[in-house]
Amino acid sequence: MIEVSDISVSLGKKKIVENASFNAEAAQFTVIVGPNGSGKTTLMRALSGDLPFTGRIAINGFAINRLKLWQMAAMRAILPQSTQLSFPFTVREIVKLGLISGRSGAARREAEDLPDEALALVDLAGFGGRFYQELSGGEQQRVQLARVLCQVWHPLLDGQPRFLFLDEPVSSLDIKHQLIIMQIARAFAKRGGGVIAILHDLNLTAMYADRVVVMHGGRIDSVGTPAEVLTDERIQRVYECALKVGALPATQVPFILPQSAAL
Amino acid sequence: MSYPVLIKSAAPRSALGGGKTRAQGDRSFLAKSVILMLCFVLVATIMFSLAAGASDASIVSLVGALFTGIDSPADALSLRDRIIIYDIRLPRVILGALIGASLAVSGAVMQGLFRNPLADPGIVGVSAGAGLGAVSMIVLGGTFLAPLIALFGFYALPLAAFFGALAFTLILYRVATRRGQTSIATMLLAGIALGAMAGAYMGVLVYIADDRQLRDLTFWGLGSLAGANWVKIAAAGPFIVSALLISPFLARGLNGLALGEAAASHLGIPVQRFKRIAIVVVAGATGASVAVSGGIGFVGVVVPHLLRLMIGPDHRYLLPAAALLGASLLLLADAVSRTIVAPSELPIGIVTAAVGAPFFLWILLRRRGILDL
Repeated sequence: MIEVSDISVSLGKKKIVENASFNAEAAQFTVIVGPNGSGKTTLMRALSGDLPFTGRIAINGFAINRLKLWQMAAMRAILPQSTQLSFPFTVREIVKLGLISGRSGAARREAEDLPDEALALVDLAGFGGRFYQELSGGEQQRVQLARVLCQVWHPLLDGQPRFLFLDEPVSSLDIKHQLIIMQIARAFAKRGGGVIAILHDLNLTAMYADRVVVMHGGRIDSVGTPAEVLTDERIQRVYECALKVGALPATQVPFILPQSAAL
Repeated sequence: MSYPVLIKSAAPRSALGGGKTRAQGDRSFLAKSVILMLCFVLVATIMFSLAAGASDASIVSLVGALFTGIDSPADALSLRDRIIIYDIRLPRVILGALIGASLAVSGAVMQGLFRNPLADPGIVGVSAGAGLGAVSMIVLGGTFLAPLIALFGFYALPLAAFFGALAFTLILYRVATRRGQTSIATMLLAGIALGAMAGAYMGVLVYIADDRQLRDLTFWGLGSLAGANWVKIAAAGPFIVSALLISPFLARGLNGLALGEAAASHLGIPVQRFKRIAIVVVAGATGASVAVSGGIGFVGVVVPHLLRLMIGPDHRYLLPAAALLGASLLLLADAVSRTIVAPSELPIGIVTAAVGAPFFLWILLRRRGILDL
């Protein structure tokens, strides 16, 4: 479990996150939503150990500021929004970097094939020999996800759940790959790991999240199931936009919701 | 263990991980083969360098001499030839190989640290810092720095160069790197400023130097292996050998750092401590090289770049390969510098710059799109 108790994060003199508290359970998919500038990424950077904060953040009961980097690397893996490289790595070499921390949880023989399995999982089978820099933004993002999956391949290690932190994992993906990535996250949670993702797509959130954390102006507005949290009142207030939940568009306007894929 | 995926991907999954075929994009076998080949190349280059020169001491007699030793009665090798090989060519070859390896490895480490293929100690001012340290020691060694020379003996010069290089690397890193991201433009401009600063201070030191010091400075500044002797090897060797021995332990961290500082620390790499070690390694290798041979440019940028094209940027292979290829190339450049205007010789810095500078321009040309500032 990830416990966030009363944390505040400042960048320079400005307080970006104020008095945030929530729990993200293992075996659950927790999604953080909120408008631009509401502090989602800053909160995630604090969870990742990149930013100093006040308050307490704990993974499986261990306060993260007491953990060594290699210990944290065995407990959680983090997908950044985008990653630029200045050297000509192949896709497979990048994915293999996920094994640096040495605690994928896979047996030695299994680990040999792990990069290829992870690539197949993100629908990039056969891309191992391509150069990372030659891929599109969406493909690069999926390569990074494959790397991150290698780091915590088994959602449980020594009986303890492990976590995936995903910062806008579907932001540059087409709809098919958005769904694939969401299913990977869901499956990771089903097998006992925890997932925390920042998403902008409220439909995907409603479809896949077990719990939703709504951020607004650096504070946590509410935490709950999608049905509890995604209400007309809250969405209008937080996004400052007159939106209605579940309202259908006029009949001649096409709309495509991710839910239709599962039908 | 597999994930249940509702939406089937178009690509088949059957081609994965079967049998002994190497996976696509895995260049480790290629890299190991290239390293093995470079070992042979280096041995051949060393033999060639020992044999080539104004004297006709032959390779056959030379090998005999290596096995029998200098004190044994070896008819094949005259005393004159022994002196040429043991006191002139052998130290020169050893020093050349050490410096070539050190220039190439410090280039590769620095490029990995700054995540930038143009970060070479010679280009971004670190060599200038080492030079400033060395010149200070040569000129001021007779005055208030005299106690240092008394204390450290022939280590004083490489130590001074080391601290010069260390100071300049730290300044460069502080100026060019912000929140874990290095700005290419800032790095290169800071390098220009640091180079100019070192040049100005060196100018002042040259101005106050006496005739004997001026002669020392001139020989030192040409960038040459001509003065190689066992004392220089003893002075620079420990720095260079330590840097070369530490560098393989940096490989894993440099690979992780390619993803950025945050991602590297998420993988469990102690980034801050790692960066400090890398900076000391670069400063040690650059300082020692500059102290004994002056400025030999472009080896540090050309060698790692060529190797990345051949075997990829994985530092576990890149660093040893750079050491081997750097040593071989510098020995070849030295052979050229000794023979091209024989019986006189050209400073080796001129040879490496003549070949390396156009190569550097070629890299710039190829990477213009990425470098647009």
